[in-house]
Amino acid sequence: MTRSLPKELDPASRTSDYIIKVKEKILLKTEEFYDVNSEINLGKDPFEKVRFKGSRSWIFAHLFYKKNKFLIFLYIILCILLFFMRSFNFVIIGYAIEDITSNIGGSVAPNVFYWTLLYLSNSIGTQIIETGAKISRIILAQCLEEEARKEFYMSLLGKSQSFHDKQTIGDIMAKATNDVRFLNFLIQPGISGLVAALNNLIIPIAMIFIVFPDLPQLCIIPIVFVALFLFSLKKYVTKLTPLFRSRQAEFANMSRILNESLDGIEVIKSMAQEKQSIAKYRSSAIIFRDINIKAGYIQARYYPRLFIAVAVTLGLTHGIILNYNGYITVPEIIIFLGLLSTLRNPIDYSLNGFFYIKAASIGAERLIETMLAESEITNPSNPIIKQIDGKIVFDNVSFSYPGTNNYVLKNISFKVSPGQTVAIVGTTGSGKTTLTKLISRLYNINEGNITIDDINVQKYSLKSLRDQIAYIEQDVFLFSKSAYDNIAFGRENFSKEEIIEIAKEAQAHDFISELPEQYDTSVGERGVQLSGGERQRIAIARAFLSDPKILVLDDASSAIDAKTEEKIQKAISKILRNRTTFLITHRLSQIRWADLIIVLKKGKIVAKGSHKELLKNSKEYRKIFIKRFDKTYSELIGDED
Amino acid sequence: MAFSGLDAEEYDRIYSDRQLISRILKIFKPYRKSMFIIIVFMVLNSFCYGALPLLTREIIEQLDQSNYIIPLITLTILVTLGLNLLSFIFNLVVRTFQYKIVSQVSFDLRFKLNYAVLLQDLSFFDKYPTGKIVSRINNDGNNFGVMIHSSVLGLASLLMLIVVIIPMLMINAIISSIVFIIVPCLFILIFSFRKIVRKRTLLGQRSLALVNALVQETMSGIQIAKTFRQEEKLFKEFNIVNKQNNKVNTGKEFAMNMLWPLINTVIYILYGILLYFGGTAMYLEIISVGDWYLMFQSFSLLFNPVWSPFGQLAVFWPQFQQRMSAAERIFSLQDSKADIEEGHYIFPDIKGKLEFNNLNFSYIPENPIFENFNLTIETGESVAIVGHTGAGKTTLARILLRLYEFQSEDDSVRIDGKSIRDLKLNEYRRQVGYIGQVPFLWNDTIENNIKYGLPNASLEEVLSVLKQSGGVEWIEDLDNGLNTQIMERGKLLSMGQKQLLVFARVLLQNPSILILDEATASVDPFTETKIQEAMEKAMEGRTTIVIAHRLVTVRHVDRIIVLDNGKIIEEGNHEQLMKKNGYYAKLYDTYFKHQSYEFLEEHKAKLI
Repeated sequence: MTRSLPKELDPASRTSDYIIKVKEKILLKTEEFYDVNSEINLGKDPFEKVRFKGSRSWIFAHLFYKKNKFLIFLYIILCILLFFMRSFNFVIIGYAIEDITSNIGGSVAPNVFYWTLLYLSNSIGTQIIETGAKISRIILAQCLEEEARKEFYMSLLGKSQSFHDKQTIGDIMAKATNDVRFLNFLIQPGISGLVAALNNLIIPIAMIFIVFPDLPQLCIIPIVFVALFLFSLKKYVTKLTPLFRSRQAEFANMSRILNESLDGIEVIKSMAQEKQSIAKYRSSAIIFRDINIKAGYIQARYYPRLFIAVAVTLGLTHGIILNYNGYITVPEIIIFLGLLSTLRNPIDYSLNGFFYIKAASIGAERLIETMLAESEITNPSNPIIKQIDGKIVFDNVSFSYPGTNNYVLKNISFKVSPGQTVAIVGTTGSGKTTLTKLISRLYNINEGNITIDDINVQKYSLKSLRDQIAYIEQDVFLFSKSAYDNIAFGRENFSKEEIIEIAKEAQAHDFISELPEQYDTSVGERGVQLSGGERQRIAIARAFLSDPKILVLDDASSAIDAKTEEKIQKAISKILRNRTTFLITHRLSQIRWADLIIVLKKGKIVAKGSHKELLKNSKEYRKIFIKRFDKTYSELIGDED
Repeated sequence: MAFSGLDAEEYDRIYSDRQLISRILKIFKPYRKSMFIIIVFMVLNSFCYGALPLLTREIIEQLDQSNYIIPLITLTILVTLGLNLLSFIFNLVVRTFQYKIVSQVSFDLRFKLNYAVLLQDLSFFDKYPTGKIVSRINNDGNNFGVMIHSSVLGLASLLMLIVVIIPMLMINAIISSIVFIIVPCLFILIFSFRKIVRKRTLLGQRSLALVNALVQETMSGIQIAKTFRQEEKLFKEFNIVNKQNNKVNTGKEFAMNMLWPLINTVIYILYGILLYFGGTAMYLEIISVGDWYLMFQSFSLLFNPVWSPFGQLAVFWPQFQQRMSAAERIFSLQDSKADIEEGHYIFPDIKGKLEFNNLNFSYIPENPIFENFNLTIETGESVAIVGHTGAGKTTLARILLRLYEFQSEDDSVRIDGKSIRDLKLNEYRRQVGYIGQVPFLWNDTIENNIKYGLPNASLEEVLSVLKQSGGVEWIEDLDNGLNTQIMERGKLLSMGQKQLLVFARVLLQNPSILILDEATASVDPFTETKIQEAMEKAMEGRTTIVIAHRLVTVRHVDRIIVLDNGKIIEEGNHEQLMKKNGYYAKLYDTYFKHQSYEFLEEHKAKLI
């Protein structure tokens, strides 16, 4: 039944990798780590520095954060009190029996009622304290979960685009729900189990000492038991840890696979490949199942259950021997057995406890791994915040996506004056979109310099920089919210009327008015209700609203018919006036506006200049338009070559 | 407390407990042998467990008499040890099987759910966010698996309850009968928590699904959020959902945990009664110390809050309720019926004649897209469909792929004269190639993406379709060539590259019918020419429907269908329609003319 785990799940290699990674981070980052998040006002992240110290410190930092520390102290104190009182119950019963049996046949009737009352008040006291302990525990656990998830989410939002390029959504989702939930379980049944176990181990033995001060030898058996118990528990946990680790990783893998197949459901269906998707999910689910079976096999062999049974029997024997020699009475044996049998409690408590503490620390490792991974796009030490004019200079810029050796852009140099329009043309994969992403520093470049208003982009505050640059994407993503919210996404301080005004400018008003609930219509997760053209118009409205100094238009109006396009182009030509604009397009009408045209091929600039100049001087440029219209430009303008 | 976003999904339904349990039993059916073993060993274990206090009583009785029989005591102790050992072994067997079944059943469920979801119509996925579905399959699947643990515990506890109560009755019926009065009270107490716990748990699971969905969406749209610097706003939204999740789950935990102190208090009162009456009886010499010890011991065997059967039962019940609500969510998803029912007919080879007769279709009932729509496309014909946005072009393609169910008669859509409803879906769709407007690629290598429709294709075949679709050159430039991982949705590639790959993918499938929803995002002229050449090759000898956005396409096809509001208003080839100077001519002016050479000629003066 047990299959060998795939290599990437091999726990041994994962752990050491992880440790090395964390150590590197500590060396690299402790000195120059800046608070990106505080600037975008997500609030301060109090756990940022602790992450470098590993999962244990991180968990502790969370446990002792603000009101959490009161809760945890309260909880522990209540627990200690609780277990003393519980053990005390057995003592009450023992003395009651002694009182009763010694008075059998005597003249004075034993006060059974008194013993009962004592027992009951002690018992009900334990319940009150237990309830208090539970409340503090529940609140603590939930707050821990909330805070950890918040921190994780915060860190996700603060990451650069190149980080997100490398992440799969399913994996992130598994971390944000499953792994974070394990932090909740850390408290219950994790720490609560551990506290109960410790109390249950120490307090009965202490009680035996207190009740039988003359018979210290009675402690031999319970102490031997505790030693054996702790030893086998440790072995047990060591065996299970790697399995738990790979289990959590595989869970994330399952959710990744599932998420992707739901994302691409249209392709699956139209190509009739349901089976392939099902098989893919199945194979991951099988690995997950087998890890669980393997873990279960170990979990079933939990020897402390046998140890306690043997300990109680041996304790009884010990009691009998002492009784035989007249050191101890029968009721005292009953007290002793009662206390001994409380040692049974920690067995299952601790089982659950360790299980979840381990799971939580693995979950924490996984969370920290993501949170620490790359913060390469960070604010500089003295971030520049300024109103941008829009002069952009690329000086010998080369770039490859992080983790690859493949230069997507090589030695790119050009200058743009404020308010100019630049068209970028080139074949697919020539690096057009990438080039524009470098302006807002979605990625850091490998070589060269990019300056805006003669200041290196890396010196700008990220917020200040990106606030003034807007993109109209190729692939318009809409959030599952109302059309109104999707347009307003850029800014909050706009009235509904203003947004409608802007939607009109972007030619989006007409179709939005025809939606069932107009501007309040939810445009849906996959945005099915809107066509590609309509989505793009919303994106244009969105960009209008953010009033950027630099605008990047990536093929934005290609889906729209000529009539609408004309209107939009009018609107865009208005918006162009006071900003620097990059157009990625092949439409002549748009290229016409450009003050500068850059022709890219395989990441290099092969020609640049105005449309007229390029038609005259660049073969590459002409080639593009020859192909486009099945005619040669020589026919059109007369070839001079 | 008002929570938002925690409403039931439309496909959620309420099952009675009986329905739920019979469904659950069905799931366990394949494992009845293992279940049987578990039960047998559980019974054996209960006997050992029940016999232990009896033996202890025997020893205490012996001790109480002043002259002991040492061999007898020794023997009793040895038997006790033996029973303990046996009990451990039985328990081990039970647990081993139990863990195995839990893993297996969770797996079965997950697999079935995934299966059920993937067989849903496309309309299902339009309605429900992916994040919530993922949460239901993975998280609820887990929850359900643990149900077995609780059920085994519950069953074992009941058995032990019986085994332990019998000797108690034998000692003193009056005192033991107190137990009988109180046990039902306890059960009532526990069961009355059922509704509260179930409701809270359901809310808890939904709120987690909501968190899941939110994270999923943020991550999908992260780039936009970043470029617009909207992290703060997203964070605020997340905070609300996350806080809500905290509140809802705190409520759930309270509900689940407050039961305990109540139960414990009742149990302690029971102990008190036993102490009082037992103590008095002992003083009056009605029962012996050993008997009393046995009763007390049996009580704690029954009612210890941690490891006793009753304690387990008290844990079991709320957990069981939690699992039941997980089961409800799972079954609802499983039972939600797809609208599309497939037929059984398999075409060995589709020729490609397509007929639409009086087709009616709407996404939402009050908003019909097609009413009495008629169209016939002959074998091998290539047809372009043009019209304004919202004319129904994409919908027509989706109906033809049978991704959405149409509302009219069976023979409204026919393929080679056979009703589309009679066809076996997989076999049919395999012979229809579809290229959607937005290219979707998998988080896999380029090669595997191309081979998606035909996983067993050889490298030569892959290279040959790549050549046709002009993908060889730029792929060779990549670090790992065909083995390059392109991430989710192919996000490491440019739009043009994605389109080329999607085209290659369909070419490899070699379909009889080709449906092309031309991408609206434009590609550079080189790539476009390459796609155009490949398309022309692909159209040869195939029935092709193109939702056209490009001039080259409308000029090249055999027939153009002009759609407006779900109706055909003109048809013919480009020249014919232009001569007619009707609707198409206008469409041409708006959509296609500016792509033409003539247009450029006209604007020559402006250009130079």
